Amino acid sequence: MDDLQVLGVVCILGVTCYAMRAGGYVLAASMRDDGIAARFLRLAPGNLFIAFIVGGCMSGGLAGLVGTVVALVTMAVTAREWAALSAGFAAAFAASAIVP
Amino acid sequence: MTTAGFRRGLVAALPFLLSNGAAGLVMGLTYKGLGLGAAHAILFSLLVYSATAQAITLSMWASPLPVAAMVVACIATNSRYLLMGAHLRQLFGGLAPRKMLPTLFLLADASWLMTNSDADRNGPDAGYLLGSSIPMAIGWVGGTGLAYAAPLAANGSLKLAAALLPTMFIATLLPSQWKNARSPWPWLTSAVAALLVARFVDPSWSMLIGGGCGTLVSMMERKDG
Repeated sequence: MDDLQVLGVVCILGVTCYAMRAGGYVLAASMRDDGIAARFLRLAPGNLFIAFIVGGCMSGGLAGLVGTVVALVTMAVTAREWAALSAGFAAAFAASAIVP
Repeated sequence: MTTAGFRRGLVAALPFLLSNGAAGLVMGLTYKGLGLGAAHAILFSLLVYSATAQAITLSMWASPLPVAAMVVACIATNSRYLLMGAHLRQLFGGLAPRKMLPTLFLLADASWLMTNSDADRNGPDAGYLLGSSIPMAIGWVGGTGLAYAAPLAANGSLKLAAALLPTMFIATLLPSQWKNARSPWPWLTSAVAALLVARFVDPSWSMLIGGGCGTLVSMMERKDG
């Protein structure tokens, strides 16, 4: 495969991905602050957090589910991020060792 | 955009140096297996900077390259960034575009989620978005480069650690988000919708569709927004 062709494709895909990242920000300039879309965006973060976590657990299998639940419970109890991540990883690796 | 916010984001996202580094390494090893040169692989991770878009375009790699199909795949997998960007406008709308637009180059799921959580605690600060984005980008691009520099092979533990950290890290942000919730129904809706989409449609759409369904329920139960 021609190096220049690969370089061109990488640049096209890079521009496409940046357009998606900046596009929402630029288009939102024309949005009314009290409109339905603005209200939707204000309420979206927590719900997107949950959906992101569920998607991650699905792709991570049992180890992902166990690790995420343990990390979440540890965070709720201790409010210490390092403790939550350590406990989550330990649980995930233990789960993957028991059920490969 | 403050220096304190930048520092706070940079420190908070340091674990992503490792997880994105491991994931970038796995991506780099795959590129290497395809016969892509180091410079092209690093440029790919730097410019596209999206695990899902890179994985999908990688699976389409053929001669001749199906450019149009790859562009459509990038748009489909990254459409969630439109929503994230529009939400960031609400947080940082007063900031000059010359500061925000370059920062958006490094926008990632985790940096957006962390910035929202920090905005709830400390108020909106685009410095946090930039600071938290930097370790993630260095990890991802550095990991891709490391795949070419070191005689490594992807193993199970490395793949598992790389796959799990983003999800676990975002899970640690949930307790602080719960205080904004009025009932469990929106979150439950998000979870069920994301589960169904990931199972029956495509995992890359689960965040956008699941989060969207939950937000509609939030809108129905709140009149004041």
